[in-house]
Amino acid sequence: MDKILRVNMGAKGGPKFTVEPIGVYTGLGGRALTSAIVSKEVPPTCHPLSGTNKIVIAPGLLSGSIAAMSGRISVGCKSPLTGGIKESNSGGQPSQVLARLGYAAIVLEGKPEGDDLYTIYINKEGVKITVNNDLRMLGNYDTVSKMKEKFGDKIACISIGPAGEMRLPAASVAFTDMELRPARHAGRGGPGAVMGSKGVKVIVLDDTDMPMRQPKDPERFKEANKVFIEGLLKHGVTGQALPAYGTNVLANILNEAGAYPTYNFKQGTFAGVAKISGETEAALETERGGVPTHACHRGCVIRCSGIYNDKDGHYLSKQPEYETVWAHGADCGIDDMDKIAMLDFLDDNYGLDTIEMGTTIGVAMEAGFLKFGDADGAINLIHEVGKGTPLGRIIGSGAALTGKVFGVERVPVVKGQAMPAYDPRAVKGLGVTYATSPMGADHTAGYATTANILKVGGFVDPLKPQGQVELSRNLQIATAAIDSTGMCLFIAFAILDQPETFQALIDLLNAFCGLSFTGNDVTEYGKKVLTMERDFNIRAGFTKEQDRLPEFFKTQEIPPHNVVFDVSDEELDEVFNW
Amino acid sequence: MKNKTRAVLENCPGVRIEAGEALFPYFRPIFQSGFLFRCQVGKSIEDLLFRQLSLKKLFVEEKISTVFLDGQCVDDISRTILNDDSVVAFSSALPGLVGATLRRGGFYACLRNSITYRKKDMSVDARQGTITIKLFNLLMEELGPVFLRKGIIMGCSAIVGFLQEQREAFWKEIHAAYLGDNIIAPRDLSAESTYGNGDYITIRIDDRDKFQ
Repeated sequence: MDKILRVNMGAKGGPKFTVEPIGVYTGLGGRALTSAIVSKEVPPTCHPLSGTNKIVIAPGLLSGSIAAMSGRISVGCKSPLTGGIKESNSGGQPSQVLARLGYAAIVLEGKPEGDDLYTIYINKEGVKITVNNDLRMLGNYDTVSKMKEKFGDKIACISIGPAGEMRLPAASVAFTDMELRPARHAGRGGPGAVMGSKGVKVIVLDDTDMPMRQPKDPERFKEANKVFIEGLLKHGVTGQALPAYGTNVLANILNEAGAYPTYNFKQGTFAGVAKISGETEAALETERGGVPTHACHRGCVIRCSGIYNDKDGHYLSKQPEYETVWAHGADCGIDDMDKIAMLDFLDDNYGLDTIEMGTTIGVAMEAGFLKFGDADGAINLIHEVGKGTPLGRIIGSGAALTGKVFGVERVPVVKGQAMPAYDPRAVKGLGVTYATSPMGADHTAGYATTANILKVGGFVDPLKPQGQVELSRNLQIATAAIDSTGMCLFIAFAILDQPETFQALIDLLNAFCGLSFTGNDVTEYGKKVLTMERDFNIRAGFTKEQDRLPEFFKTQEIPPHNVVFDVSDEELDEVFNW
Repeated sequence: MKNKTRAVLENCPGVRIEAGEALFPYFRPIFQSGFLFRCQVGKSIEDLLFRQLSLKKLFVEEKISTVFLDGQCVDDISRTILNDDSVVAFSSALPGLVGATLRRGGFYACLRNSITYRKKDMSVDARQGTITIKLFNLLMEELGPVFLRKGIIMGCSAIVGFLQEQREAFWKEIHAAYLGDNIIAPRDLSAESTYGNGDYITIRIDDRDKFQ
């Protein structure tokens, strides 16, 4: 993984590629690498769909090795949704395959003059770029089927659906899972639109005959991986709750806490939650011959995903995640799990971010365009997006724009990006991260619950409300570091509670890369990533005024606790003062 | 709780089912939606778990990591007092920052400061009362049978609706059913007429193995 593939889509005479050494980016992977390239090479004030924007696809530092959980892949660009820097990451197979092919990143640059669509095929022999207009406006599932027919089933695909081709700001980039289903997505912030602007429909990866990446210190690496896996399997969250119920296990407790945004963030509890909870979802999957415990990539031992079948036992979608079920469910007043799974499939197939779409439809419902609970109406709206009708293009542009078009005040976005499934009035600490993350409202930006072990910025008294700012800072730093390793963020639970598992992660990195990282070094790594991202946004014109939640969170109480978001602007401005 | 309702709950008819352990998982929808439970109120949640339900300390400490009282996050179960009408929810450890944040006594408790339970300045006399219990995720499997063996209370229409949705496999698990002291056909449990004009019903399950 010591080379970067650069494809200039705007080269004279058609796309041209170069393969160059990783050079100044040595030691970076995943989010650290995508943010470094975007920050250094993309003009911050450029139009996100212009030829000067770049889209960077990078596996993590440990991807392609036998390290458990190391299959995340990062996608970076200037976001057409937020106007700032974006790193959106995904599971699936491509991270492992791309890393085994030796690439630290693929960088798509420039912009083709015509409107041809391209396929990029990469294997051990090299890179082949071909025009493939037969794929125009195909969904991700059909696109991958055609690639399978052409290249066989030993491939992994990175593709966009019609939403990406139409350059809609809610468009995702799809990654295939172990069964070659394009069901894993880098959804947040519209990276699919940037890939679409480059004219690239699909990147096909074939790592046949390529060996696993080998660690610098094999014995130490093997031992660390063993301890790491044992730690994950013995922990209650990673060893039991996630495999049994998936991420949607959160629905019931968020609802119980009054922090489950319902009817477009109008209230914090949803009467129909038991019909769409993770417990119900897993039971349905089992009953219909689906799978409630399934890995999204090889080497995953948590296996929080699943297969959701319809009533007749046929594949309908992958197990919809917590945020998807919330966005298309409670936020829209929909309590029909089958309809939610259908919405999940349509989002995946058209290539759309499920959080953005669910929230956007919730805003449209708030406007009276549809009634809350109208599942068929919601499905029709997603079809409108897929077809590219004028209405569909509005919806596919996300919640902020849809709120403006329909005249809605309560639009839950930060930096133009829809807020995920946790109400910041009830869990205010999350609101601090939503407000200040360089990514816009993002539940994963401050997700890695390792800050107490890292002790970034000193010890924080968890019982004092003032700790929220410090904790948000520490969590964002820890998350940025983990996002760079290629590790799934879900490892955070085990390394939070089990110091020996955290140490095993550090040992894995050190043994693999021949480093001698300490916890402090990891902290500095995370800070470096965040500093680059903040700097890009400042140069793009962002000010502290963008580090705020929408006004309604400060003025409209959310039942049942009837609380507002009352962390002061001055406190928010302290988050990045380190 | 109104005296009239309290009296109804104290005297509601009881159904006893003799069945195998395989029957318990069918009650998951009820566990997560909530059921009524007779217990001593004016006592702490800790008292409910340790003394009244006889749960082991290690189980409570390791498995019941998240507790809500009336929608508020509980940090100290020994200082949280139950009252008539209390709604108590139990969950195992959950993912995400939010999962860690909602845990009792967790490092990230300050992130949900505004929804944390705080001890009220009021005393509640210790007496028999009725609370609502909700069980989520892994605790449905592990605590659900504990409550069913002791007897849970549900509205008659809710239990009839639940039973009418059950398929053959559910009924096959039932060895015998009793309404009060009278044996009845298991399928009659799903008939509204079985319960007359009653509002609530107590359901208790005895493991069939004990009777073989």
